[in-house]
Amino acid sequence: MPVKEVIELLRKAKAYAKRTKYKEALAHIERALTLDPRYQESWFLRGSIYADTGRYREALADCEKAISIDQNYADAWTKKSVVLYNLERYDEALLASTRASSLNGNDVTAWYMKGVCLDELGKSDEAQIAYGKSLELEIILDMKNEQDRARRQ
Amino acid sequence: MKTDMPLSKPIRRFLTHTEETLDTEISLLRQPEADPGGTLVDKYTYDIDTNVIIFPAQYVGLLKDFVIAKHCTHLMMKGAAAEKAKFLVCSYNEESIYRGMRQIYIDALKDEAKKEKKLPVQKLIQMLFILFTHFNDDLNELPWNAIINASVYHRMPKIRKTQLYHVMKESKNDMDEMMEQESIVPRRYFVLNKAMFYARDMFLAKTLPADELIPVINIPQMKKFNHLEVKEMLTTRWTNTAWYQSKVFGDNMLSLIERPLGPVKWNDPPTLDYYYDLYKVGVLLTDNLISYMTMRDWFVWEEPKQLLKAKEEEKEFEKSALRKIFGDLITDTLEEKE
Repeated sequence: MPVKEVIELLRKAKAYAKRTKYKEALAHIERALTLDPRYQESWFLRGSIYADTGRYREALADCEKAISIDQNYADAWTKKSVVLYNLERYDEALLASTRASSLNGNDVTAWYMKGVCLDELGKSDEAQIAYGKSLELEIILDMKNEQDRARRQ
Repeated sequence: MKTDMPLSKPIRRFLTHTEETLDTEISLLRQPEADPGGTLVDKYTYDIDTNVIIFPAQYVGLLKDFVIAKHCTHLMMKGAAAEKAKFLVCSYNEESIYRGMRQIYIDALKDEAKKEKKLPVQKLIQMLFILFTHFNDDLNELPWNAIINASVYHRMPKIRKTQLYHVMKESKNDMDEMMEQESIVPRRYFVLNKAMFYARDMFLAKTLPADELIPVINIPQMKKFNHLEVKEMLTTRWTNTAWYQSKVFGDNMLSLIERPLGPVKWNDPPTLDYYYDLYKVGVLLTDNLISYMTMRDWFVWEEPKQLLKAKEEEKEFEKSALRKIFGDLITDTLEEKE
């Protein structure tokens, strides 16, 4: 279990990252990693920031580190597939997205990435199945968001 | 293209094609509070160097792709018009606002005479300008929406299911629009507004005929549409509404929409000339709708910067129009507002 301070540091890092204040976000994550290098979420979060800022190789290394700590970390697998896609390593990206979608069948991005990768690899029919699944999940989420929005108004 | 986000193949190709054809750059931007239909901020409308397509942050898959395809198509038409001739929008000026508001006022008076519960004068005065600009907004959106949807449907078969969901959702939102103002808005304008959307929906229902909701049918909330085609879905929805009377006007508008769009060859090579022709169809379609609704002297075709300027000055234009309509009677009310 990570110490309370690590959780708090990551919470702040996420808030900074949301406002695209990546430098501050990274500083908080570094401190979290110093306190507890075995907490997979810190690696995942840093990898996500690296991915958002185009530092794909570092992002990939962090995703892999997170996965090495927790093999069933679905979000890290999804992020890994996005990063590999950006590195144009479609075969590996497909494997990562397949793993992600089997760990979390409700992950829209995982299914979408699977579709995108299959499409890139010329497997159009299989891509359509993955896209279909991704669309279903995305629509359900969108309907829920619409309901929430209507309630707020 | 300024983006690292994954995109499906047809969308990425289309984005690249648009950038190359228009010799411009497109950025994609996620925003948590973005409009569900996304927004296009383009250099042909605003004084900026690049183009940005903004979409809701929660759209991570095909919903995002469809929003991009839609706005990219619109950008192509705008860019083609700007390159080939001049990109113009349906705009207004001080004089045309006066003519529009005056007409709405006359029609509102006719309605008010028949009403038991009269609308407070202040509300009636406020409604004139709001309704005028409402029609301007809709005329700048609706004809292009029909063209864009038809184009995307024919050019990107892989995202048709997504498009279907968008069309259904958009139709529902447009249908709900103005409902709260039903008792305020003069009947003629209420019906005309609904009729425009009815016609758009019926056109799309005919254009998107073949796809059933599978695999979207796995979504519990959409089960009621099981085995229905788009046309049946949209027709069912419209015939169950309180303002089915819009149908008569809507059917006429549908033929106005179909006439210029019927001959369009949607799968012709996507060249600059092709999109310029689509733009001209959009202008013609808008003109047809304006004529049908007898609003010819309400609006003018102008460059986008003129419309933006008019929007900046609209409060002044509104006051000026009110003074012309009501003369000295209005002075006190305007001062109260200030």
